[in-house]
Amino acid sequence: MEEIKKFIPTENITLFRSCLVSAEYPGVEASTKYVFDKLGVEYVIDRNQSCCTGLGHYYDIFDELSTTALAARNFAYAIKNNHKQYVPTCATCYAILKTAAKTLNEKDEVREQINQAFRDNGLEELQYTKGDIDARDDITHVVDVLYYLKDKIPENKKRELSSLKIATHHGCHYCKVHFDDTLCGYRNPEIIDKICEVMEVPTVEWYDQKPRHCGGGFRQRYANRELSLDATEDKFLSLHKEKVDLLLVMCPNCQVQFDRYEQVLEERTGDRHYFAILNIAQLVALYMGADPYKVLGIQTHTVNVELILDKLGIEYDPKEDTLHVREE
Amino acid sequence: MTKLNRREMGNSSEEDLAHRVLKDIKAPSDLGLLRCVQCGLCTSMCPASRHSEYDAREIIKRVLDNDESIIDDEIIWNCFYCYTCHSVCPVGNSVCEVNQILREMAIQKDVGKKQIESFMSFADSYLAEGLGIIPEEYHGQLKIDYGKHWENLQEQLQDIREDLGLESMYLLPEAKESVDKTLEAIGFKKRVQEIKDVRNRK
Repeated sequence: MEEIKKFIPTENITLFRSCLVSAEYPGVEASTKYVFDKLGVEYVIDRNQSCCTGLGHYYDIFDELSTTALAARNFAYAIKNNHKQYVPTCATCYAILKTAAKTLNEKDEVREQINQAFRDNGLEELQYTKGDIDARDDITHVVDVLYYLKDKIPENKKRELSSLKIATHHGCHYCKVHFDDTLCGYRNPEIIDKICEVMEVPTVEWYDQKPRHCGGGFRQRYANRELSLDATEDKFLSLHKEKVDLLLVMCPNCQVQFDRYEQVLEERTGDRHYFAILNIAQLVALYMGADPYKVLGIQTHTVNVELILDKLGIEYDPKEDTLHVREE
Repeated sequence: MTKLNRREMGNSSEEDLAHRVLKDIKAPSDLGLLRCVQCGLCTSMCPASRHSEYDAREIIKRVLDNDESIIDDEIIWNCFYCYTCHSVCPVGNSVCEVNQILREMAIQKDVGKKQIESFMSFADSYLAEGLGIIPEEYHGQLKIDYGKHWENLQEQLQDIREDLGLESMYLLPEAKESVDKTLEAIGFKKRVQEIKDVRNRK
């Protein structure tokens, strides 16, 4: 294992909830909880926590001051709850929270402006004191925790997954924003590959375009759809060339881009090859014996994951999926 | 193309565009904007530069040339905010973050507000629930792209979350109240109203 310079928590964790996970791929949250429980990680979920603003921040709807004030509010709840270790499932939450903590610690005038606004509006309990949250040590991504505890993962093995051909896609906002804090490289990111290694699941170590973004591009997916899909195609075609069965991600926004748009991209490129998309926590949960519908939540995926289950010889009842339209 | 004159070394004003960018709340204290040597590594890795007229290196050149017209230029709205340029820059500059600051300067004027008004349902959702959503303004195209399955998911989401053993995704009532107060206190509600006013003037 490479030397880890940042602190990785296994207790006093608030599992920081992501809007896209909650509404698009809730099975990522259920799988993370399942895996954390198996690994003995101590965490809470706090319904006082608001969205990090991330998507709105990068749609340029939220300004820096508002995003930082909302982060200060969330930090106050986490500290009060004695679970100040924020562990997000989303790469953008991770980057936003780190940036906010840095700003609050380093920019005295910004911190004071926010604290003054809290004081003037009867929100004294939300005030932030310099150093309350350490940007490096108090905010870690789920993959950091999984990597840190990776040697315990095989102790919970229930299923053999080695027959799959897998490629990994690492979230830009995990790898590239605070790159000094990224484990296992950011120019050739490998943290998901390293987690797969302990499960004896081989991954395509390098493929063309591996370190590239998903193409979502925040506003681009919606306001500039063609530009966004042009960018996604680069990686999509490279994955087709590798003939992978499965693409592993660590961020729900990337998951939307590859899963929700696979059909669109196939029609656009005329290039057809099936591959499913899972978050790494979902794959670890599957390895540990989790139910595909009741834990992984594969029914919320646009691309059917059942073909992967067939390949692995995992039994399931397709009637549990009430979302996909089936021909009678 | 108009010829741009780079300000002479030693003649830079504290009020020129580059210095205003550096002083912005979004700019990290160690942002290497003035150290840019125009090597172009940013452009070489940039998805927007690869697929559109956007050129990451050119964005920085225009800022250093004190070319104010960049604030009104639609091209700044093509950045993906993927931070690839930020992670490869040899002098610690970040086109991505400079771009965010330029867009915020545009938002201070009508030209930027018009670019983001189609995302205002995100702000409305945040004000109501403390949660973000996929902007409703784009649901028409998304229903075509994502198919019937996605519409079914919207309808059945709460049941599916229950089947997965998950708590409600919504904030506690008192938490929503403190989010609302925070947004009022920090001036976000005022910002939202100003953006909507531009939309309504159309």
